[in-house]
Amino acid sequence: MSLASMQRALADLLRSPDSIVADAGRAALAEGLASASDRLTPAMQLDIYREQFFLRHLDVLHEDFRSLAHRLGDDAFEALAKAYLNAFPPRSFTLRDLGAELPAFVASTAPWSTDTLLADLARVEWAFVEAFDAASEPALDLAAVVSIPEEAWPSARLVLQPSVRRLSLRHPAHDYRHSIRNGEPVAGPPEARASFVVVFRGRLALEHIELEAEAFALLGELAGGTPLGEACERVAASSGATEEAFQEKVGAWFQRWTALGFLSRVELAR
Amino acid sequence: MSYRARHAIPDLGVGVGFRVPHYEQVLDERPPMDWFEVISENFMVAGGRPLDNLARLGEAYRVVPHGVSLAIGSVEPLDAGYLSRLRELVDRLDPPWVSDHLCWGRAAGLHLHDLLPLPYTPEAVELVVERVKRVQGTLERPFALENVSSYMTYRASSMTEWEFVSEVAERADCGLLLDCNNVYVSARNHGVDAERYIDAVPADRVVQMHLAGHTDKGTYVLDTHSDHVCDEVWSLYRRAIARCGPVATLVEWDDEIPAWEVLAAEADRARRMRAEVLAGESA
Repeated sequence: MSLASMQRALADLLRSPDSIVADAGRAALAEGLASASDRLTPAMQLDIYREQFFLRHLDVLHEDFRSLAHRLGDDAFEALAKAYLNAFPPRSFTLRDLGAELPAFVASTAPWSTDTLLADLARVEWAFVEAFDAASEPALDLAAVVSIPEEAWPSARLVLQPSVRRLSLRHPAHDYRHSIRNGEPVAGPPEARASFVVVFRGRLALEHIELEAEAFALLGELAGGTPLGEACERVAASSGATEEAFQEKVGAWFQRWTALGFLSRVELAR
Repeated sequence: MSYRARHAIPDLGVGVGFRVPHYEQVLDERPPMDWFEVISENFMVAGGRPLDNLARLGEAYRVVPHGVSLAIGSVEPLDAGYLSRLRELVDRLDPPWVSDHLCWGRAAGLHLHDLLPLPYTPEAVELVVERVKRVQGTLERPFALENVSSYMTYRASSMTEWEFVSEVAERADCGLLLDCNNVYVSARNHGVDAERYIDAVPADRVVQMHLAGHTDKGTYVLDTHSDHVCDEVWSLYRRAIARCGPVATLVEWDDEIPAWEVLAAEADRARRMRAEVLAGESA
């Protein structure tokens, strides 16, 4: 058997959720690859690796999605992990990427898709994973901002820090996650409530804040590259607020976002 | 001239792995330690706290990257993206060598995230030798392969593990990271002579040694890095140092990680033992 054939056969055997020892067909495959020792049959030898494959990846998913695991309980989370690893076996060199598809998997796969809180928790947890090691851009240079002429602002584009993640949730899953991660007691699942959350890497640590719907929408327009003037017009049109009242709000939002470090730079139209 | 002399491989003394529970203490207090090893993949990221921590660590200590995902023995092509990011990390750290494992871990487009042993065959030797040369060409840095713990015996193997390790190292002209605990674990699991293994490895190519604890599962020994180094592994380490000379040594502790003081004491023990053996050699 060639080395390539051996590696393909082993890859199939080792990522199986079920024991090789207990399956005569796969035990026979193991016999073809390995020879028995005085204490372990070939199937027992390969089961050591197979068990480690599952435990290693379960540990990573558990750590990255701790609030989801808490909500489900250990056995149900293990069942989810098995189904997920079967559907999305690891393809990245880094275990950091292991859970990338879990939010979409939970949202689209029964029985987990029937409880929308689970998908919200998965999305919030993954946003924190992404924000943790996202690239860093220099912070917004306030001196440069002050020097921008007033007429240049409507066509200017505001660039967000790469760590900023926006989440429109059906439940306050961020609060639930915060409680679980900080060892605080939770009475039960939170009541459904539309929540607009930003996860980001602050100056000292990962953080999250909840925004009002209009601010969240404006941030989304800016993240998508819409020039400031057009972004404000779009959001103002759907808000029903007077222009003056809306401008006042926008000013307050920008002050807060700047203080939180959301913004990286202002790109002026040429 | 020996491999170590040709590449001016320094003896860094005795270090430990840089692990999360100790980050704050190490970075804030800078306790005495000869050097640190970091898991390469944990720092092959775009930004954020990992790179900040690495920069702070590098300000105070010598840091050597040790990879777990290169999959040098996989038949699938080397991952060019991975190598490029590893090169970035190497440029950032400027280490005296870079290491990974003599194993495979990728197949059928998947990463198994394990250090799977290779069959000890001429085909595997050819594959690894060719790939090590490409890795060394990309990294432009001395590259060392670590012997892994194993729990399976391939029917296809036609040589001993130490013959396989030696042939790969000689033909690829690379360094070796001799993990004394892995030698012990594999020897116990396969009923071979660990001392004979230590005696057979090309001593001049050993650029670093690893020490770690393991777990006895009854019918086999599992490489868990979750305990003190056992007496038998200390004995192998003595033998290895006597044979290889002053080689940088690292204590690994990755699970059930103890307080910094416990880990530092384990490194102290290695340092004393190493000094005793080397003093005996020179006497």
